[in-house]
Amino acid sequence: MLFHTWPFAIFLLIVLPVFFALQRTRLWLAWLLVASYFFYGWWNPYYLLLVVYSTLLDYALVAFMDHCPRAGPAGESGSRWAPRGLGDKLLKSAFVGSLLGAMAILAGAVWGPATLRPTLIGAEVLMLLMALGALLGSRKIWLLVSLVNNLALLLFFKYAGFVVGNLNAVFPRLHLPDPATLMPFGFAYLLPVGISFFTFQSLSYTIDFYFGNVHRERSLLRFATFVCFFPQLMAGPIERARHLLPQFNQFPAFRLQNLTDGASLLLVGLFKKLALANYLSLYVERVYDHPDTSSGAALVLGTVAFGWQIYFDFSGYTDMARGLARMMGFNLILNFNNPYLAASLGEFWSRWHIGLSSWFRDYVYIPLGGNRLGSWMTYRNLLITFLISGVWHGSKWTFLIWGALHGLGVIVMREMERSSFYRDRVPRLLKQAAVFAFVSFTWIFFRADSLADANLIIRRIATAGWGTANLPVLMVALVAAVWGYAFLYESRFRDLLKTGAVRVSLAVMMVLYLCLCASGGGAFIYFQF
Amino acid sequence: MTNESASGITRSVGQGGPKELAPFGATEMRLTARQWLATLAIVLAILLAVPALWERVERFDTGADYRIPYALSRDYWLYARWVKRAAVPGKVVVLGDSVVWGEYVQPDGAWPVFLTRESAGAPEFVNGGVNGLFPLALEGMVRHYAKLPAGQKVLLQCNLLWLTSPEADLSSTKEEHFNHARLVPQFTPRLACYRADASEKLTAEIQNRVGFLQWTSHLQNAYFEQKSILNWTLADDGGDPPQYPNAQRNPLAQITLTVPPAPLGDPQRGPASARHKPWSTTGVGSTRFDWVSLESSRQWAAFQRVVRLLRARGNDVFVVLGPFNEHIMAPQNRAPYQAIHDGVAAWLTAESIPHSVPEPLPSELYADASHPLTAGYELMAKRTLADAAFRRWLGRSLDK
Repeated sequence: MLFHTWPFAIFLLIVLPVFFALQRTRLWLAWLLVASYFFYGWWNPYYLLLVVYSTLLDYALVAFMDHCPRAGPAGESGSRWAPRGLGDKLLKSAFVGSLLGAMAILAGAVWGPATLRPTLIGAEVLMLLMALGALLGSRKIWLLVSLVNNLALLLFFKYAGFVVGNLNAVFPRLHLPDPATLMPFGFAYLLPVGISFFTFQSLSYTIDFYFGNVHRERSLLRFATFVCFFPQLMAGPIERARHLLPQFNQFPAFRLQNLTDGASLLLVGLFKKLALANYLSLYVERVYDHPDTSSGAALVLGTVAFGWQIYFDFSGYTDMARGLARMMGFNLILNFNNPYLAASLGEFWSRWHIGLSSWFRDYVYIPLGGNRLGSWMTYRNLLITFLISGVWHGSKWTFLIWGALHGLGVIVMREMERSSFYRDRVPRLLKQAAVFAFVSFTWIFFRADSLADANLIIRRIATAGWGTANLPVLMVALVAAVWGYAFLYESRFRDLLKTGAVRVSLAVMMVLYLCLCASGGGAFIYFQF
Repeated sequence: MTNESASGITRSVGQGGPKELAPFGATEMRLTARQWLATLAIVLAILLAVPALWERVERFDTGADYRIPYALSRDYWLYARWVKRAAVPGKVVVLGDSVVWGEYVQPDGAWPVFLTRESAGAPEFVNGGVNGLFPLALEGMVRHYAKLPAGQKVLLQCNLLWLTSPEADLSSTKEEHFNHARLVPQFTPRLACYRADASEKLTAEIQNRVGFLQWTSHLQNAYFEQKSILNWTLADDGGDPPQYPNAQRNPLAQITLTVPPAPLGDPQRGPASARHKPWSTTGVGSTRFDWVSLESSRQWAAFQRVVRLLRARGNDVFVVLGPFNEHIMAPQNRAPYQAIHDGVAAWLTAESIPHSVPEPLPSELYADASHPLTAGYELMAKRTLADAAFRRWLGRSLDK
């Protein structure tokens, strides 16, 4: 279900009033969960099982982790392999349950239907790991189970086809099976919408709990709602447990301002998606579907248009997500903060997809050592983090290169910022233009269908005749207006935008423009990640 | 902020409480309740006023023998305006599909024109046919757009072509793509062959009910080559390599405030066109149809609903059955066709709906299975006017 469609409007018209009507009961949270599951199941009810499974497992793992002694002198003392877990009732039950489960799964794998075998073997490994975690009472092993489980899901659904395809191409004798044949019960092998988002959100909870950054959530209902809260389930913003979970502790106070703020965000998001992103996508498709016949000018402008398209598409989605949550009284993090006004790549990443970049900072970059181990190690860590970030976006070499380019760009720009000339003498506007140009260049790899296409586009930009771009004037005017607004917003004239007349005029124009020009449809780009 | 802040990946949101983590947004578009009320009031006023004002301002020349131009077949707002204009005492609105509209003929060669001519203009018959329509879509058209005042005389054509196969009847389970999908019942009765998703269906239902959205569709149809304004700016000319003539154009300049007329001398239609010839000369042999029974037909059920709806509104309805080209049928098809034909006539009689069941036209006057040629329409008009039931319905003798 997409936010900008009529079925969602009807869904919301049912969910919101019932949610508010339940405020004096304990059912409001259950209602949110039911609504969220319905929202996800609308896309594919079978894949809802995946969300439920991921939720249940991480909930249980944290509960088991909570029963294990903490690391340190008072905690995991004595031999690493001592069966400490058997002293705790819950862990003892987990141990027995895991062993029994492992035996049952083993029997199923041996005598059960062949289509279930690959799934059961995966489950067997998890069960044995769980049994070991319970036996040793080791928080680390429980964390490992969560990591293995979440990343295995992600790897299987998102990367298995790519990995198998590449391995089979390089080593033809391997004959690795198509991942689609490993699906149980012959289910369709589809990329579950939003899998990268909900697995990262769930994973952040287990990691945060392991490091003691968040309390254990004892209510399964609350935790399940945290994992699949419908406004941000499909494409973020990726929330942290310490931010979102406490908001589900009690019914949020009803305030009219929440409704008006939420509606404001929703309107801006709808405008970005329907009026801008969808429009730009038409031009981008025209250029990128025929890179061999497009002129150099068209390829440059198509690339720039894609930069704006993906920004409007994704930030439009998160605006809508935040607006919907705000209407109910919940606050989601700001995910985009005028990224194309950034004057350095570092600043760009603090303004673009903030939920993901902070996730990678906290769970990849800092655990790798961050910038604490000298320049070379910092650069290595940055590069690794950006490479992973690239791969997170999709299983194509182009994403990997996109990540690598950003990693290298950040390193180079970081070095440049050390010079006082660059820092103090180069005008900010020039820096902004340079960052925008670099980011736009990297979008070529992000958008191109293949590495060959990306190379072709770059080659043609440099060598093909400039020709005519045929970029509609209306498109240029719209993007210029939005860019102008963003500049004004960050300037000393910002107060102008706060006046009632300006706000009402802009809102009226947006609504009318949507009614007049918007063509519905078009899934969000980030759903595929 | 920690020492991580120098790198891009690390300079991100702070580590504070919810308030710090969730600033409102990256714009100042934060309307208060009062500002929202003002916005909604202004928008509502515009949404209500613009279509009504537009109707007054936009020039819509219909003239004699007018029919909705082929290019504007999906401009339902214009159709509603045309029918509203036509619905006056002394005129008969003729509703139906491309047989009424006149698929192979010029506007002055269609059935309603000959009816007017043969009756010497008293009454005047208005061509309310739409190219590509069929009973299931006609139902939507009548329900939402052809809202005729009580007492209005309506001549309705019943085309049995729509029962010639499960596909034509839209009762097959295989996915079908058809014209005027926005007008067919979106949810009930369910059409298994219509596979639009829930969003498309809801959009259609809403568009059929909101005047402003119908009006925007009119703008697209009349001034932007049946495209949304945004798509129009990107449209190519179909050449190789394609050119994009609209990219540098001002969309507002397209709106000339005059409904575009049908192109003069449509080369696809009329006696001078290559298509305007008897079916038997086109190489089409006799055809065996996979007739759908009346009891199971979706199109026939829709036709019945149309009749009931018109009558419930107080319209004075007369039904003409045919003209189906019986000459094209394989002999073994005759029995099921006759059963359907008789069943329709029996239902009309049972419901006391005035109707006529004219003889089929001579074979050479048909262009295909259901569309007559110009001379066929002329003969059809004569026969209709000669029908006693029709004359009674018109309320006066047309004998000369």
